[in-house]
Amino acid sequence: MTALKRLLADRAATIGAALILGLILVAIFAPVLAPYPEDVTAFHLTERLQPPSADHLFGTDRMGSDVFSRILFGARITITIAVIAVGVSVGIGVPIGLIAGYYGGFPGGFLMRTSDIFLAVPQIVLAIAIAQTLGPSVENVILALSLTYWPFWARLVYAETKSLKAQTFVEAALALGASDWRVMVLHILPNTASAIIVRTSIGMGATILTAAALGFLGLGAPPPTPEWGRTISEAREFLPEAWWYAAAPGLAIFLVVMGFNLLGDGLRDILDPKLRKGSR
Amino acid sequence: MRRLEIILSRLVWFIPTLFGLVFVVFFISNVIPTDPARIIAGENATEVQVQALRAEMGLDQPLHVQFGRYVADLATGDLGKSLYTQRAISEDLLHRLPATLELTMAAMVLAIGLGVPLGVISAVKRNSMIDQTLRVLSVSGLAVASFWLAMELQMYFSTKLGWTPLNGRIAGWGPEEITGFYLLDSLLTGDWASFWDTLHHMLLPAITLALPAAATLVRFTRAGVLEVINSNFVLYERAMGFPTTLITWKYVLRNALISTVTQIGLIFGSLFAGAVVVEAVFDWPGLGTYAVQSILQSDTKAILGFSIIVGVVFIGVNLLVDIIHTFIDPRTLK
Amino acid sequence: MKHHVLALCSALALMTPTLGVAQDRYVHANNSAYDTLDPHTVRDVARVASRLNFYDGLYRWVDNPPQLIPWLATDHSVSEDGLTWTFNLRDDVTFHDGTKMTAEDVVYSFERMLELKRGAGSLFLPMIDPGQTVAVDDTTVAFTLKEPSAIFAALVPDILVVNSTLVKENEVDGDWGQAYMIDHVAGSGSYMLQRYDPARGFIGERFADHFAGWGEKYFDEIEFRTVLETNTRIQGLMRGDYQGLDGYLAPDQVERLRADEDVQIMEEESMRVFHIAMHNGRAPLDDKNFRMAMVHAFDYDGYINEIMQGTVARNPTIMPGNLWGAPDVPGYDYDLEKAQEYLDAYKAEHGDDIRTIKIGTLAGFSETEQAAALMQNGLSQLGIEVEIESSPWPVISSAMQNPDTMPDMVPYWKSTYYVDPNNWVGELYASRYAPTRNVSDYHNDAVDEKLEQALIITDQDARAQLYADATTQIYEDAAGIWIYNTKWFGPYASNVKNVRFCPVGNGQDMRWAYLEE
Repeated sequence: MTALKRLLADRAATIGAALILGLILVAIFAPVLAPYPEDVTAFHLTERLQPPSADHLFGTDRMGSDVFSRILFGARITITIAVIAVGVSVGIGVPIGLIAGYYGGFPGGFLMRTSDIFLAVPQIVLAIAIAQTLGPSVENVILALSLTYWPFWARLVYAETKSLKAQTFVEAALALGASDWRVMVLHILPNTASAIIVRTSIGMGATILTAAALGFLGLGAPPPTPEWGRTISEAREFLPEAWWYAAAPGLAIFLVVMGFNLLGDGLRDILDPKLRKGSR
Repeated sequence: MRRLEIILSRLVWFIPTLFGLVFVVFFISNVIPTDPARIIAGENATEVQVQALRAEMGLDQPLHVQFGRYVADLATGDLGKSLYTQRAISEDLLHRLPATLELTMAAMVLAIGLGVPLGVISAVKRNSMIDQTLRVLSVSGLAVASFWLAMELQMYFSTKLGWTPLNGRIAGWGPEEITGFYLLDSLLTGDWASFWDTLHHMLLPAITLALPAAATLVRFTRAGVLEVINSNFVLYERAMGFPTTLITWKYVLRNALISTVTQIGLIFGSLFAGAVVVEAVFDWPGLGTYAVQSILQSDTKAILGFSIIVGVVFIGVNLLVDIIHTFIDPRTLK
Repeated sequence: MKHHVLALCSALALMTPTLGVAQDRYVHANNSAYDTLDPHTVRDVARVASRLNFYDGLYRWVDNPPQLIPWLATDHSVSEDGLTWTFNLRDDVTFHDGTKMTAEDVVYSFERMLELKRGAGSLFLPMIDPGQTVAVDDTTVAFTLKEPSAIFAALVPDILVVNSTLVKENEVDGDWGQAYMIDHVAGSGSYMLQRYDPARGFIGERFADHFAGWGEKYFDEIEFRTVLETNTRIQGLMRGDYQGLDGYLAPDQVERLRADEDVQIMEEESMRVFHIAMHNGRAPLDDKNFRMAMVHAFDYDGYINEIMQGTVARNPTIMPGNLWGAPDVPGYDYDLEKAQEYLDAYKAEHGDDIRTIKIGTLAGFSETEQAAALMQNGLSQLGIEVEIESSPWPVISSAMQNPDTMPDMVPYWKSTYYVDPNNWVGELYASRYAPTRNVSDYHNDAVDEKLEQALIITDQDARAQLYADATTQIYEDAAGIWIYNTKWFGPYASNVKNVRFCPVGNGQDMRWAYLEE
């Protein structure tokens, strides 16, 4: 409870949380909020590329569909990609980090070297290679991002686990006859949770940016999916005249990533005093 | 001698990491549903012709045999030939590497020149209006999609205002090539027109790339400086009556820079990665444009080669940073 | 003293060739990279400029409607049995390095094409075996085909002749000079290679000694530069950075360029048919009623009038309407009621369950994506679900060439590679081209018989009739969804004159064009 209070006391984190809450609400209620929910698949060819007006808040696109409605539906895709990709990354990365950090030795070293290989290339480069190979679709973008982002969590948990393992409470638990599993899951994992949460919030932002870049490069969802990155690349042909067409999805990405970054910063200050670095 | 040991141990890891990278990327890129032989043969080829080509390219061999072959070739610096052009991929990549490195370094200089001083200011004047503004800006800088920013900047400054060139690295064909770095080559040959033109072309892509990196640096420098300011020896010196500005710039900054240098390896990586997309927007004839083109053509081997060369550069830079680190921060030697 | 001034002037002229008064320069922004200059390994529209301007063929396509004019060869004769084609060559052709061209160069070039099996070579391989081309004397060359062919003549312009002496000097391990030819030119064409950078493009310098001579005005230098982004090409043309662009722009872009005073749009009838290929071999599309429902579910008018803004003409069959042999039939119309009737007929026979239809589109070609989206829209009103998958051209093209991986539908263009009905109806629907070019898996014995016969006989009227009949049958079978025949909108700077457009080279044969002061 105090954590929540402190979070709300931090203006930046509050704004971040509000932005994310907004994203989630928009994603859930897109069909209700969108003025033209049918425009995700329906076209009005006679109304192509109209500038913003009262009817069309963000104008219309190359098929005459309402850009604003499509942006709202795009939130669903963005949130799906980010949540699953980050979820899978955490699901792979955390156990690997935990096991590697706890047992150390050859298996630990091997696992960490494997994660080093994935960290040896910028994430987007690997994601491009994977997504390119598998073919453009939302599922493949998720797969590509999951396969490239897990080492971040593995590294983090590895380092935490290694230092925690040397602490007395772990030794005590072991002396009382707790199994390795029990110690890992019940004693070490909870103590790494705050670091994982902070990393996850910031990771969401990074994942969304990479997913959008893949969409922009044509490796993401096929048309007429209202994915934001793809919309920006579609809009490119019509610049500078149809400025709204690219501006709207760009701003949407910006707000959402900003939300996760602000929240991540706020959470770090609250949950992880070690990392606070004297910000106050 | 301790330094040599550290450097050697890093070098020893270089080869297995690289091998692992090749392994991973090779197998990833072979899940592909396309048939390279069919692409090369063209749509006029008959099935028999394609079969023959497949055998000629060794594509009828099992995957592990193909991998062995690839690694053996790689050891001699041969990354194979592009599916599409039959051009040696290593040559293509080396030809484009200077363009990307030049852009990345320019962005790096911009990012450091902008990020470090602003970070110090932010720390020294913490919780002031300036600090608050800078914090908002730096968070924003990290949240913008670089390809979108690139497009918007291009639309405004090149298309609407006509202040900067639309695309490319230089208007003509560039200065006489010595190193492939246009800024350096034009200085070496005294070709000032090319020098300015290159700078002019570089402006928007470098700014686009530099912004998120600068934002990261502001944050890290701020944190680093604050840590030092709050540390004991500064309190001691302040107690001894040293002027504050002197303390800030001489002691605090030097200590804070150590943590910043560590960041540079990371930042270089993020710049290099960002270049892939930013280059594509500005038609910058570097590795990123090459990669995007290879994607469009499904030129798997070229993408493989690209990932490997980026990996090599990336691992190499991190190695370099580690080595530099042993010099500026002797604590690592303990 | 005077000498010094002259020397200085010429030195300055050398240093700044682009600023010289007499130098007319043309810069073209191309949508894909010139990653190889070898004329025998590629044969696509995107990289046609290097082949047209650096090399010469035995004959040449010019103008619109396209005509074959004698080029390196003056004329030819065909033996009684239709197998041996003998070409008489000019005796005044020199390559860029001054070497005289002889029949040996033609033989070497043709054998090279057959050996490399890529580009146009793979087109000749089924017709003629290696070793069947002989130099009768210095100016006579004879090709002996496996069977008579009506389209060989239309392919002769693709026999681009290389300087065999030069190429042989640069052969490495019997590679037919492949490594060398990637970034060197060994031709006799109108322009000589001056600079080349695969990441950037090439510059050609006028070859003053070209056998065909030159008009009064011409470009001294041509540059073809790769600019991948459509928007950048357009902005660059409007800013004056470029003098010309590739001509198949989306109508929105054409509109924008029209509004610019410094830009002219040359408009030409072309022969590039946009259609949706359907997989006739896979259920439910193997049923004629179902296909009839499909052809009535596409909003042709909406596509042509709104998305293409009326810049193209409806084309009712696969044959370009402006080509001989095209039948006179009305195009299918967008009529969902009719489509529903056909669908009901299908359902009565095969049950109500209809699986999701998969449409493959070409990544980066928005017209194909928009066509797929429109099809999806029409079919959803019939209660049929559609899944769209966008892939880069090489991926989709290789998938299309295998009946197992060919999507149910693929919207794409059939461009002009040679001007003969076989380029369209033959390659796309004759069994002999399945599955590589006949991607629809369409097989009809009566149609096959007509198309085969048309390949052998040489009388054009009789051939036209055969093609018209075959095309009509394919039309009645609703084997595909044929949408429009492209118009070519060549965007050039206003002062560029005399671009001779031909559907084969897309107006990139630069030897005729010049700048008007």
